[in-house]
Amino acid sequence: MEQMDTEVVETVTGVVRLLRRAAELAWIEADQGGPRSSSQLLALGIDSAADEGSFLLPRRARLDGPTPVGHDPAELLASAEQLLRRICVVGAPPRLLGLRALVAELILEANTGAGA
Amino acid sequence: MPARDRRTVGELLADSDALSREMLLDVSAKQGPAMVRTWGQVVQSAARLWAVLPPISVAAPSGPDLMVRLRVIGDGIAHSTSASGWPGLEPMDERLLEIARNLSRAADLVERYGQDVQPTSAETRADITAARARVMHTLYVAAHGTAVALGEYANDLRNRLHLDTQRRRPVGLRPTVREIEAAEAVLSRFGVFEQVAAGYVAAHPVTASVLGEVRPTPPTTRLQSALSAWDIQVHRTLAARTDAADLVRLGRVQALIASAAAIVTEAAGEKAEIDPEMVRRLTVTLDASQVAWSRMAKRWGELTGQDSRPDPALARAASEVRAAISATACNPTGWATPDQIAGRVDLKRALKSLHLSMVGAVDLAHIAREVAATDPTLTAPARVIVMRAQGEAEIAREQALTGYEGMTWASSRQIATNQAIPLPEPARRGLVNLSNDVIVACNRAVAAAAPLDPSESALLEKSSPPASVRRPGQSRQMPRQEPAPRGRPR
Repeated sequence: MEQMDTEVVETVTGVVRLLRRAAELAWIEADQGGPRSSSQLLALGIDSAADEGSFLLPRRARLDGPTPVGHDPAELLASAEQLLRRICVVGAPPRLLGLRALVAELILEANTGAGA
Repeated sequence: MPARDRRTVGELLADSDALSREMLLDVSAKQGPAMVRTWGQVVQSAARLWAVLPPISVAAPSGPDLMVRLRVIGDGIAHSTSASGWPGLEPMDERLLEIARNLSRAADLVERYGQDVQPTSAETRADITAARARVMHTLYVAAHGTAVALGEYANDLRNRLHLDTQRRRPVGLRPTVREIEAAEAVLSRFGVFEQVAAGYVAAHPVTASVLGEVRPTPPTTRLQSALSAWDIQVHRTLAARTDAADLVRLGRVQALIASAAAIVTEAAGEKAEIDPEMVRRLTVTLDASQVAWSRMAKRWGELTGQDSRPDPALARAASEVRAAISATACNPTGWATPDQIAGRVDLKRALKSLHLSMVGAVDLAHIAREVAATDPTLTAPARVIVMRAQGEAEIAREQALTGYEGMTWASSRQIATNQAIPLPEPARRGLVNLSNDVIVACNRAVAAAAPLDPSESALLEKSSPPASVRRPGQSRQMPRQEPAPRGRPR
C-alpha cells in the first residue's frame, strides 16, 4: 500500500468515522422500514465505503473518537466527500480517488433513492 | 499382492456412481456417523479429479466453479464435526471410502495420461461432459444417502432418549441432547450440499440418452456469480478468522438477499411466472428470514469495537452482491417495478439464483451459530458484555436456571475502560439463540421454495432429477432441521 502522510491519514480517519456514523443511521432507517426496505442498499453501500476507507489506513490508525454530529446520512456523506475533496489532489492514490467517487455516488443515492 | 487396478477413468466413474446408488438403496441409521466421518475424503477426491479434468469447452468458463462451492461446504462440515467432537474419528464408511479411492485413482490417470486432451471435437467434449456429470451425480446421490442415514440416526437417538427418560435409565447411558443436535446440524448442512449439487445434476443428467450429448448451460448471470462468490467467500473468511465485523456483514448481506428474493418473487408472480399462492407463501418466509438475519447482524454489531474491520475479501464480495442486486432489482428511487425487473433479467433464472442462495444461507447460519457457540477468540467491549450477559442471565432466571446467580462478567476497571474482554457464556447464548432463529427462518424459506426446481434445465424443460435413485417416500427436498428451542442446554 502506498505510504500516506500524517495529515492524509488523519483526514481519512475522519472520513471513516463520518461514514461509519452515516451507515449506523442508515441501518436504523432500513430496520425501521421493515423487511423489504430498499434503504438496505444505501446502508450496505455506506458500509462498503467505510470499509474501503479503513483499508486505506495503516493498521495502527485509531478509529475511535467522538461520534460525528448529525442525524442525516446524506449530510454526513456530504461532509465525508468534502474532506476527501481536500486530499484528492493530482497524484493522489487511485484507491483514494475511487473512494471519493464511491462516496459521491452514495450522496446521489441518499438524496434520490428510497432512503431520501 | 493386490491385483493392479486396470479400470479406465470411465469405468472408475461408473463404479463410483453405481456405489453411491447402491448405498442409497440400503442405507441405514447406524451408518450415519461413519458416512459423515468419511465425507471429507469423498469431496476432496472429487474436487481433485474435477480440477484435473479438461474443460468442457475451449472458451473461458462463464461463471464460478460449482465444485469450489461444494468443496467449501464439505470443508465446513469437516471443520464443524472436528470442532464439536461428533461423530469422532472411527470407523469410516467402506463404500464412501471406495468411492473416494476410485475418484483419486481417476484423478491420477487423468493427470498421467489425459493432460493433452483438448475439447476440440464434439466427441471429446461429450466425453468430458459425461465424466463431469458422473462426478457430480456421484456426489449428489452420496450426499443424499448420507442425509437419509443421518436423518434416521437422529430420529433413532431422539426416540431412544424419549424412551430412556420414561424408563428412568441412568443419564450416562442415554443419548445426549448435544449429540442429537450435532447430528441434526450436520444433517441440515448435507441438505445444503445436496441442493447445490442438484442444480448441476439436473442440467447434466446421467442417462443413456444424454451421456455423450452436449447440453450447454445458459451463461451465468452477474447475480448468480456474485451470490456464488459471496457464499464461497463467507466460508473462507469464517474458516480463517473471527471478527464480529464479518458476522455483521454476513447478516446484513443475507438480509438484503432475502429482501431481493422477495421482490423478484413478487415480480415473477406479477408476470404470471409462478403461482400467486406460491408467491404469498414464499414472501412471508423470506420476510421472516430477512428479519432474523437483521436481528443477528444487529447483535453482532453491538460487539464490534471501533478498531474492528471486516475481511477485505468479504467486504469486496459483499459490494459485488449489492451491485448485482442493485442492477437486477433497483431503480433510482428504490426497488424496481416488476416490468423493469422482467426487462433486465430472466425472472425465473434470477429467482432460482436467489433461491439457491437461500439454500446456502442455511449452511452459513450454522457456521454463524458455531462461531457464536464455540469460538474461543471472541471478544467484545466490557460494557456491552455486561449489559447483554446480565439480560441473558435474567432470562435464564425466569426459566428457573440459577447457574448465573451471583456471577459478575467484568471487573469495574474493565467496565471503566470499556476493555475488550472474552465473551462469557450467557452473552454467547444470546447470539446462539439468534442464530437458531435464523436457521429456523431459512429452513422455512427453503422448504416453501422447494417446488421451485433449483436446476437450470428445469427452467427450460420440466425434468425430474434422478428419480431412479430415490426410495419411495424419500424426498429430494431439503430436510427441515430446526435447532433446539431457546434455553436448551448446548
